[in-house]
Amino acid sequence: MASLTLDRLTKRYGDTTVVRDVSLDVRDGEFLVLLGPSGCGKTTTLRMIAGFVPPSEGSIRIGERPVTDLPPWKRNAGLVFQSYALFPHMTVAENVAFGLEMRKAEKAEIEPRVREALRLVRLDGYGDRYPRQLSGGQQQRVALARALAIRPDVLLLDEPLSNLDAKLRLEVRLEIRALQQQLGLTTVMVTHDQEEALTMADRLVVMSDGEVRQIGSQADLYETPTDLFVANFVGRSTMIAGTIYAPGAFRSEGGLELTCPPGPVTGLATMSLRPERLTIGPDAARLDNHMRGSVAFVSYLGGLLDVHVRLNDRDQVVVQIPNRGDVFVPAIGDQVEVGWPAAACLVFPRETN
Amino acid sequence: MAIARDRPAGEQGSFTAAGLLVPATLFVAIGLLVPIAILLRYSLNAFEPGKLMVDAFTIANYVKFFTDPFYLQVLWRTIRVSVACTAACLIFGFPLAYVLARTRSPYKNLLVMLVVLPLFVGNAVRAAGWMVAFGSKGFVNSTLMGMGMISTPLEIMYTETAVVIGIIAVNLPFMVLTLQSVIEGIDRNVEEAAFSLGAPPMAMARRVLFPLALPGILAGVILTFILAMNAYATPVLLGGPKFQTMGPLVFSTFAQQNNWPFGAAVSFVLMTATLVLTLLSSLLIRRSAR
Ligand SMILES: Nc1ncnc2c1ncn2[C@@H]1O[C@H](COP(=O)(O)OP(=O)(O)OP(=O)(O)O)[C@@H](O)[C@H]1O
Ligand SMILES: [Mg+2]
Repeated sequence: MASLTLDRLTKRYGDTTVVRDVSLDVRDGEFLVLLGPSGCGKTTTLRMIAGFVPPSEGSIRIGERPVTDLPPWKRNAGLVFQSYALFPHMTVAENVAFGLEMRKAEKAEIEPRVREALRLVRLDGYGDRYPRQLSGGQQQRVALARALAIRPDVLLLDEPLSNLDAKLRLEVRLEIRALQQQLGLTTVMVTHDQEEALTMADRLVVMSDGEVRQIGSQADLYETPTDLFVANFVGRSTMIAGTIYAPGAFRSEGGLELTCPPGPVTGLATMSLRPERLTIGPDAARLDNHMRGSVAFVSYLGGLLDVHVRLNDRDQVVVQIPNRGDVFVPAIGDQVEVGWPAAACLVFPRETN
Repeated sequence: MAIARDRPAGEQGSFTAAGLLVPATLFVAIGLLVPIAILLRYSLNAFEPGKLMVDAFTIANYVKFFTDPFYLQVLWRTIRVSVACTAACLIFGFPLAYVLARTRSPYKNLLVMLVVLPLFVGNAVRAAGWMVAFGSKGFVNSTLMGMGMISTPLEIMYTETAVVIGIIAVNLPFMVLTLQSVIEGIDRNVEEAAFSLGAPPMAMARRVLFPLALPGILAGVILTFILAMNAYATPVLLGGPKFQTMGPLVFSTFAQQNNWPFGAAVSFVLMTATLVLTLLSSLLIRRSAR
């Protein structure tokens, strides 16, 4: 295992820049997740690390080894594809042995290592099967075993779970994470599923339009997003447009006077609120910001309820409350008291585009 | 009514499918098997000059073929040329087919058209064109001599090389199209997986690409080999009168010497040789892909 360093990595196709100035440090044994909407350049970044896409600018190091100009077969990066990409004409054991054979390993050494890799992914005894005789989840694990068998310096996963059904996805997610920690694998995973990203990662990288928006832990991204995009993309936010007219004073377009923590933002701004940080009902009156509104819509999410409250012509917030059975459940049209503390307000400059 | 309803749903379908196969089966039977049967019968007849054909039951025609060094030479030459052409088509065709299958160029269809284009020109027309180009007073020689690069014309026409090149040009599109369609069906990620596991391009090709492209390689080899064995216009026009291969030999025996029994025997030898060699090559290819 080794660390992985991307330095100002850029990829252009003709005039369009699909990855711009991406700099990352993945520590030895760290699980880093690249998260971002479709088309933001996650796969392109991963493929540059693997060596399939030559960067237009910037450099890549694995450990102390510069690999920017090395072909994929000299990088020692284990890659797991979304489609698994198993060799259909080889048995499971032959698939796993392939990388070792390419490294000219001794026959006597290959066999135990193949067995070990299959044991790690709990597929002992499946060595003689062909990929087509396996379920999707099993094929996925073979792909993982194949990548692990070569003892890669870095493990690269491109949406490895997206072809699995929801239940299996939860299982395999935990399995991969456990394996990664057990083996101390330096791992970069690409996904656009934020729940997947949040549960698996040590650190996350949020990308959009080919650029890194924020790098940090789950809590960093959720509690202190650096911009509106991250606030929106990680977790749910409800938004109020308005103006900061004095430090800590926000006036919404609908005329609400709100208090927020004083910050660098002035002028046109957007306030972002996490729905679960809002309170509905009589308790709301004690909070920094509180007002009356009417319930516009209630969506029932099982364990949670989303209450959409209309505050005035322009402003509406979503309040998330636990569905505990004993709490007061508002009905559409009810007049309710809504409130939130100043600390719950994230204020960003209004994005003008 | 009740009985018809109780019948499993699939049965009706398979009757229909069988029904759909009838015309093709009849066509093959009447168009191919019947003439072959007649040919086989003819090849066992005797020949007397002037009488065309005499009913008999003799293997004299086959004995004649296999004891005369001239005919054996023709057979051997045909096989040699066909093997060379097929090998060359595979070696040149595979990279071309690979590029066509994998390119993301917006001009892909145009490239495919360029490969297919030669098929729009009949063999005879094309070979005639080559004669004009490569003859001793042809375009190539007169240009080279005009530029002072050679003093005597190059002997390109009427050589085995000319025929081999000619047949390759005719057969290459078939090989390329066959291979291309199969390579397109191979997941590109599978190749990349091999690379990322440490396989350099040649190792990837040997262990992953070729085995997966095997059905296409087999089909392409069989198709081009059969076409080469039975080539007619190209050897006649580019090989000249002294360059005999089996296809032209069949024709001249039938049409010029009017020796139907022997012509039938030659046809049968050609057919059998093609079949045996095709089977042999497919076995060989399958074995080498293990
Ligand atoms: N070979 C290429 N030529 C031109 N543009 C490309 C090429 N490959 C990718 N792109 C463009 O680069 C952008 C980023 O693509 P990429 O596959 O990295 O996105 P992604 O973040 O992985 O998205 P997804 O979540 O949908 O997989 C896309 O807009 C895509 O159209
Ligand atoms: Mg992608």
